[in-house]
Amino acid sequence: MNIVLIFLITIFSISLFFYGKSKTKTISIKDNIKLNALPKFYGYYLVLWCSIPALVFLLVWSLFEPVIIKSIIIETAANQGATFNDKNEANLIYEKIKAIHLGTYFGDIDSILKESALAYAKFINLFTNSKVVLIFGIIIASVVYSLKKIKNNNKARDDVEVILKGLLFVSSLIAILTTLGIIFSLLFESIKFFSVINIFDYLFGTNWSPQRAFVRDASSITVAELEELKDAFGFIPLIAGTSFIAFIAMLVAVPIGLFSGIYMAEYASIKVRRISKPIIEILAGIPTVVYGFFAALTVGPFFRQVGENFGLTVSSESALAAGLIMGIMIIPYVSSLSDDVINSVPQSLRDGSYAVGATKSETIKQVVIPAALPGIIGSVLLAVSRAIGETMIVVMAAGLAANLTINPLESTTTITTQIVMILVGDQEFDSPKTQSAFALGLTLFIATLVLNYIAQRAVKKYREKYD
Amino acid sequence: MNNIKIKSKNLNVYYGDKQALFDVNLDLNEKEVTALIGPSGCGKSTFIRCINRMNDVIDICKVTGNIEMDGMNINDKDLDVVSLRERVGMVFQKPNPFPKSIYDNISYGPKIHGKGETKSELDQIVENSLKKSALWEEVKDRLDEPGTSLSGGQQQRLCIARAISVNPQVILMDEPCSALDPIATAKIEELIDELKKTYTIVIVTHSMAQAVRVSQKTGFFHLGKLIEVGNTEKIFKNPDNKMTQDYITGRFG
Repeated sequence: MNIVLIFLITIFSISLFFYGKSKTKTISIKDNIKLNALPKFYGYYLVLWCSIPALVFLLVWSLFEPVIIKSIIIETAANQGATFNDKNEANLIYEKIKAIHLGTYFGDIDSILKESALAYAKFINLFTNSKVVLIFGIIIASVVYSLKKIKNNNKARDDVEVILKGLLFVSSLIAILTTLGIIFSLLFESIKFFSVINIFDYLFGTNWSPQRAFVRDASSITVAELEELKDAFGFIPLIAGTSFIAFIAMLVAVPIGLFSGIYMAEYASIKVRRISKPIIEILAGIPTVVYGFFAALTVGPFFRQVGENFGLTVSSESALAAGLIMGIMIIPYVSSLSDDVINSVPQSLRDGSYAVGATKSETIKQVVIPAALPGIIGSVLLAVSRAIGETMIVVMAAGLAANLTINPLESTTTITTQIVMILVGDQEFDSPKTQSAFALGLTLFIATLVLNYIAQRAVKKYREKYD
Repeated sequence: MNNIKIKSKNLNVYYGDKQALFDVNLDLNEKEVTALIGPSGCGKSTFIRCINRMNDVIDICKVTGNIEMDGMNINDKDLDVVSLRERVGMVFQKPNPFPKSIYDNISYGPKIHGKGETKSELDQIVENSLKKSALWEEVKDRLDEPGTSLSGGQQQRLCIARAISVNPQVILMDEPCSALDPIATAKIEELIDELKKTYTIVIVTHSMAQAVRVSQKTGFFHLGKLIEVGNTEKIFKNPDNKMTQDYITGRFG
């Protein structure tokens, strides 16, 4: 039904566009008046008036219709003698009624359900009919209004401008509201988690084993169980593992990325640059899961083999393998960003250095890099936040056990990996285990936010230098 | 008449397929200011960039012919460019101090060439260079401030001090006043007058008045060719070439 309505609105709008365009043209010719805007703007004006109010109404209606119908139906069911103790049972009855209406319910149907299903059908019909009537009413009203405006030779160009500005504003508002929504959902779930688990136990605990809290409703946890859970959600091993793997990744990515950035910006001929820069950037386009199985199936076993030859015990899932591959994944970020930053150092600075007799490498080391340093730091920090947020490689190559270790040959785990682990498989949504994923997500979000902020500040500071 | 410091013979410069200089024969006298004038794109800057081999920076640039300093072939492939540039300093159109402190801006060159081994020697070089560029009094109390915090005219004098710091014999100036206001320009011109006692100076300029004020010798370039060269007074009062006459009187350019 909705699709048909949208289709009708579209068709109607398009025909109004041509109508408005030709109508104003004929008016201007016939009455020999100067239009306040080009004829096509009158067309746009009609289109916008015809479509936006109707579509907005349709959207709002579609959002609220199920909620309203649901409350009405549950009430009628209750009036007919249906009994339910809490919200969940009420929902169940509503779903049953809906299924009966759609003909997909195969259980026993008693008289209450039957009556309610009939009522449901009635309301659905009523709502749909009134929706169609109202939408056509709105379209007619807004079209009449806008046609009247057009006949008065309004400043359609300015009006279109105002409406478009409004549309763009709403779009950006949606983007912001969605982000806020995500943050708040993280925040609220985390607060639920922290009402069960003390925040200090979480932040400073050194043991992470959330399996202990599996399938236990937070509201029905006993005091004894709570005591046991106290040290199951220690954040320290995760942040340690995350930082450790990110650190290994940066050890790989920063020198190689920076040096290749310098080569690209300062030494590579145009021809070499044209070929090799896209190749490096392809690295950034490889899906991380591909890096992941490369790390797990090739690099991990290779390290184990090498380790064995030296008489070392290397876990086949090691922080080293994951960090190394993650570093390779991040190289293009560092290299591409530092290449850009180095390129934006003015040539005049290099000339000044050459002119006092400095060689190319002296110039790069003492003038170009110091001048580009804030930007380079910014690119490194962005790479760090990328490393911290990376999931797939670690899931596949670094292991799942939350070891608190600084031995790169052992397996370790990260925040993101644990979020995946917690949310995979059957969940009890109220259990502290599931909620801990939100707490982890929030912590991760804050960490990357802070890093991004510092990175942007560094980049901004760099910009001020030359402008 | 002073000795000839730099001598170019049949100097040609190409940027890719485009020829920028055609058989330029120009002698520059020691401890004298030579001004190069001419419309934009006529090859003045290209010429002075041949003297310190700055054209090497541009990949597609090719220089043929002969250019000598004190009998040494500058265009020799095996020449040590670093030591050439130590002897031939350059000041650019736009002041380009490094984003370092005033002190580090000056000490950069001497450090690279291993001059001023001790801190006090380096201090001395910095002080002398700043004094010679008439900037010392203005900045002596704030040597750690960034060079970019100075005004445009001060920045340009800082760049001159930077060029002087490695004790060159020749200073090339590529429109050094084009980004400056008249007061700063007057200061730089005064400075050039002072510097010519010690250094051989070549200045590219778009201002005829400036050429008249600062130079002893003037060369007029047009479309990559050196049209006329001679004493500044003669060039501006009584040029041999009709084109020179037209240019300095503002009939084209």
